[in-house]
Amino acid sequence: MTTRFRLQSMTAHSIAWLLLPAAVQLACSAAIPPKELVDARSVYTRVAAGPAKDLAPADLDTAKQSLARAEGAFQEDGDSQRTRDFAYVAERRTLQAEAQAGIVQAERDREATDKDLKRAQLATIDKTRAELDSERRAKEASRAQAEAATKEVTRTRADLEAEKKAREEAEKRAAAAMASLAEVAKVKEESRGVVITLSGAVLFATAKSDLLPIAVQKLSEVARALKDQGFKEIVVEGHTDSQGSATKNEALSLARAEAVRFQLVSQGIPSEKIRAVGLGSSRPVAENSTAEGRANNRRVEIVVTPNR
Amino acid sequence: MRSTSMSKRVISASWGAVWLLLVGCGGAAVPQEQLSAAQAAEKGAEVAGAAEDPKAALYLKLAREGLDRAKALIADDRNEEARAVIDRAQADADLAIAIAKETQAKRQAADTREQVEQLKQRIEKQ
Repeated sequence: MTTRFRLQSMTAHSIAWLLLPAAVQLACSAAIPPKELVDARSVYTRVAAGPAKDLAPADLDTAKQSLARAEGAFQEDGDSQRTRDFAYVAERRTLQAEAQAGIVQAERDREATDKDLKRAQLATIDKTRAELDSERRAKEASRAQAEAATKEVTRTRADLEAEKKAREEAEKRAAAAMASLAEVAKVKEESRGVVITLSGAVLFATAKSDLLPIAVQKLSEVARALKDQGFKEIVVEGHTDSQGSATKNEALSLARAEAVRFQLVSQGIPSEKIRAVGLGSSRPVAENSTAEGRANNRRVEIVVTPNR
Repeated sequence: MRSTSMSKRVISASWGAVWLLLVGCGGAAVPQEQLSAAQAAEKGAEVAGAAEDPKAALYLKLAREGLDRAKALIADDRNEEARAVIDRAQADADLAIAIAKETQAKRQAADTREQVEQLKQRIEKQ
């Protein structure tokens, strides 16, 4: 209180003039840093806490020294132009350290991505190669298919050719067989099949059912011709003239047909495909009144049912 | 003898004049080296593409303005002040270079990433 009264007793004017230099001194040395220094400090605090510490330590150190120089100038002569200049430079150096950290980070990113890029490029190459491979394989497969088809066609054609040849051969053989048959027997095509008529006189002695030696030979030729031609069924029919009793004639005709059947079977005609019937004199082909007609009626007919 | 001491005196006087010329006027020599270095940095920033980068462009502009002011100060024989202005311009130009390079490096990284993405998409599509 007393001090206050004493101060009041002095004139305000003289006090102000007395205190002015001290106030200026205080302001300069103690506080109120220039805007440049405030900015430099805050920028440095921010950047030093960021990635620059690890990524751009040298640049951050330069910035630190630059800021220290500004702080030193501020300590020495307060808010001077020198302090402002140094602080201005310090802020830039700090931002430069931050940018440098950004550069290093971006380069690291790019290096890492470069590896991905190489992998992706290799994968693309692999993929393309695989596609080309499968395309090539598909082409080869279709070519092989085409070749197989061509081969098949060629083969089929050859088969057909061979078949045709075989058929022609068979037909020729059959024709030859028929021709040779015609030499030993009368061959006639009828609705019931091919009828081979053998004269009884050639085959058997009168009233006998034993084959004559010449008959055995002729029947061998007939059997060969039949085998060559192929057939579905054969019926051997025995026929007689009208002389003598019907019962006897029937028995004789059956015995003769059986003899012929047996001979044909022994020459290789399958027994299940051939049967014998005795028809006696029931189906004459000529007059029984003349000797020639009766000779024609005494006969064995081999009826061949063709395959088709 | 006399003429010798006279000439000695003349020599020392002229050295003094030279010294005065160099140091006396404006109080400091022309900061030619600093000016050249700062100008080189400013050119470097241009080459690095600072003019095309908005953030870097600001510092490039500050550097140019600083260099112009420094040259005017030198012409005015205010070399001490010029040196401080050049230091600022140098810091501005250096920063412009760093920012332009950072932008470039980030763009390259992004380009590479994009390439990878495109390749990956192509691989998955096929």
